[in-house]
Amino acid sequence: MVVAGLGHEYRRDDGVGPLVAARAAGLTEAAHDVGPLADPLDLLGRWDGASLAIVVDAVRSGAPPGTIRLVELEPGATAVGGNSPTTSTHGIGLAGVFRLARAVGQAPARVVVVGIEGEDFGRGPGLSPAVEAAVPGAVRRVADLIKGAGSCA
Amino acid sequence: MTHGSSSPRTIGVEGLSRVEGEGSLRVVVHDGQVTDVALEIFEPPRYFEAMLVGRHFTEAPDITARICGICPVAYQMSACAAMEDACGVTVDADVTSLRRLLYCGEWIQSHALHVYFLHAPDFLGYADAVELAEHDRATVERGLAIKRTGNLLMETIGGRAVHPVNVRVGGFYSAPDPAAVAALADPLRRAREDALATVEWVSGLEFPDVTGDYRFVALTEPGRYAVEGGRPSSSDGLNVSPGEFARLVVEEHVERSTALHARLGGHDEYLTGPLARYALNSSVLSPLAAEAAAAAGLGPVCTNPFQSIVVRAVELVFACDEALSLVDAYEPPDPPAAEMIPRAGTGTGATEAPRGLLFHHYEIDEEGTILNARIVPPTSQNQITIEADLRRVAQDGLDLSDDDLQWRCEQAVRNHDPCISCAAHFLDVNVVRD
Repeated sequence: MVVAGLGHEYRRDDGVGPLVAARAAGLTEAAHDVGPLADPLDLLGRWDGASLAIVVDAVRSGAPPGTIRLVELEPGATAVGGNSPTTSTHGIGLAGVFRLARAVGQAPARVVVVGIEGEDFGRGPGLSPAVEAAVPGAVRRVADLIKGAGSCA
Repeated sequence: MTHGSSSPRTIGVEGLSRVEGEGSLRVVVHDGQVTDVALEIFEPPRYFEAMLVGRHFTEAPDITARICGICPVAYQMSACAAMEDACGVTVDADVTSLRRLLYCGEWIQSHALHVYFLHAPDFLGYADAVELAEHDRATVERGLAIKRTGNLLMETIGGRAVHPVNVRVGGFYSAPDPAAVAALADPLRRAREDALATVEWVSGLEFPDVTGDYRFVALTEPGRYAVEGGRPSSSDGLNVSPGEFARLVVEEHVERSTALHARLGGHDEYLTGPLARYALNSSVLSPLAAEAAAAAGLGPVCTNPFQSIVVRAVELVFACDEALSLVDAYEPPDPPAAEMIPRAGTGTGATEAPRGLLFHHYEIDEEGTILNARIVPPTSQNQITIEADLRRVAQDGLDLSDDDLQWRCEQAVRNHDPCISCAAHFLDVNVVRD
C-alpha cells in the first residue's frame, strides 16, 4: 500500500497533498509514503503493483475551500472528479497517468484520490485557513483508507 | 478563428500541453505575415531569489531545489558551486565525481521523461504518452525502465528520487555505501542498451526541414562533456569564467511578458541546452555515445531544433555510459564534504541542467547570510531564441490548418523542453491569425 502527496510546498494550498500524506503515513507502518511528488508522472515506478495507492492532492473544482473529496479512479477515467482534466492542479492528469500505468501493466489494483479543495495557489509557503483546518480531517480519511475502514464517496 | 484578410488572425494556445510548468503562447498573423510571437513564462526563480535573502548560505541548495521537481539537482549543484566560489573553497575530486554521478541520474530521468512522454508523441501524431502506450506498449515500457534507472541513481546517491536530501554546500552529508553504488552497474548497463535503442528509434522519426541560426552557449571542460562544471563558452568563441558570464548576461523586462529576457552583453540572443552542449562538446562524447550520434546521422553540430530529440537520446547514452564509468571508479569521498567557513563576498556557480546552462550568483556576508541572490535558468536565457523559432515555424506553416499550425507551434516550443515549472502546473496557450 502506498501513499503519495502531490504538490508544491511553496505554492500555498498546493502543498496540502504532501503534508497530509506524510502525516497519515507517519501514523502507521502499513503504508509507505512515496512522495512528495511534483508531478503525477512521478507515480510511475513508485506505485507499481500496489494493492492500494492513495494519492493526496489539492484540487480546484469550485467547492468551498477545505472540502475533502474521495474519488476512486475507474480504469477508463479521463479526469479526476468528473470535471475537466485541469481539476487537478497538475497539467498532466492523474487519470492519464493511471491509464498510462494500466497500458503498460504497472498500475496499482486500486487508486483512491483524496482531494482537498484549495483556495490560494499563489507563491509562498503556508496554507490558507480553510485548507489548514481541513488537514486533520484529511489525515483521518487517509488513515481510515489505510486501515481498510474508509469508503469512497 | 476566422480566415479573413483584414483583421488579425490570432492563434492562441491557452493550454500549452506537455511543457513543464506554466506558460502561454500567442502567435498573431496579419496579411500573411507573422506579426507577433509571445511565449509567456511564469518564472519561479524570481520569487525564490527574494525568499533567499536573509537565509543562511548553507540553505540555498535545499531551498532552490524546490524550484523544479524535474531538475532539483541542477539547482542544488549550481547553488553549491556558487557558495563554494564565494567562500573560496575547492572541493575534492571524489566529491566532484559523486556530484557528476548524481547529475547523470537527473539527466537520465529528465531526458527519458522528455523524449518518451513529452516530445515523441508530437512526431507520431499521438495526443500524449497515454495514446502512445496504448499503441506501442513496449516502447513506453523502455522509456519507463530508463527513467526508473535515473530514479534509482538519485535515490542511491541523493537519498530520495525527487528533491534529493543528501546534497550540501561543500559536498554530501554522507558518502554512499560502495556496495550500493556498485549495485547500480547492472541497471545502468541495461539502461545504456535501452538508450542506444532510443537513439535508433528517434532517429527514424520524420523531422520538418528547419535550420536555426543559433548562437550556442554551453559549459565546456577540457577532455570531457561538461555537466557539473566548466567554463561558459559559445559557438563564436566566447570562453569565460562563470562570474564573468554572469556579468555579461543582461536580463531585461519586456512589457508584454512577465518573463525576463536574457541577452549576452545586453544585445545578443543565444541558445543553451542539448543542441548547444552537443555543438560545443560533441568531440568529447564517450566513444559509445559518439558512435550512436554518428549512426543517427548527426554531424558534430545539429541546428535543426526538431532533432533535439535525437540529441537528447544521444545524451541519454552518454549519461548512462558516464555513470557506469563513475560507478566503476567510485571512491567514497572522505570527508564527504569540505569544511565551509563563510566570508563576505560574492560567488557564481554554473552547471548544465538537462535543459541548459543554469547559473546562480550570490552575495553573502561574513556570517554567511545571503544578501543578494540571482538565479538564471536556461529557459529565460532561451526565451528570445524560442520566440524566433516560433516566428519562423509559424511563418513557414501558414498553409496549415489552425489546428495543425497550433500543433506545430507547440512542438516548436517543446523542442527546447522549456522548464517553466514550479509545480502548480497551469498552462495557457493562444494562437491568433486573420
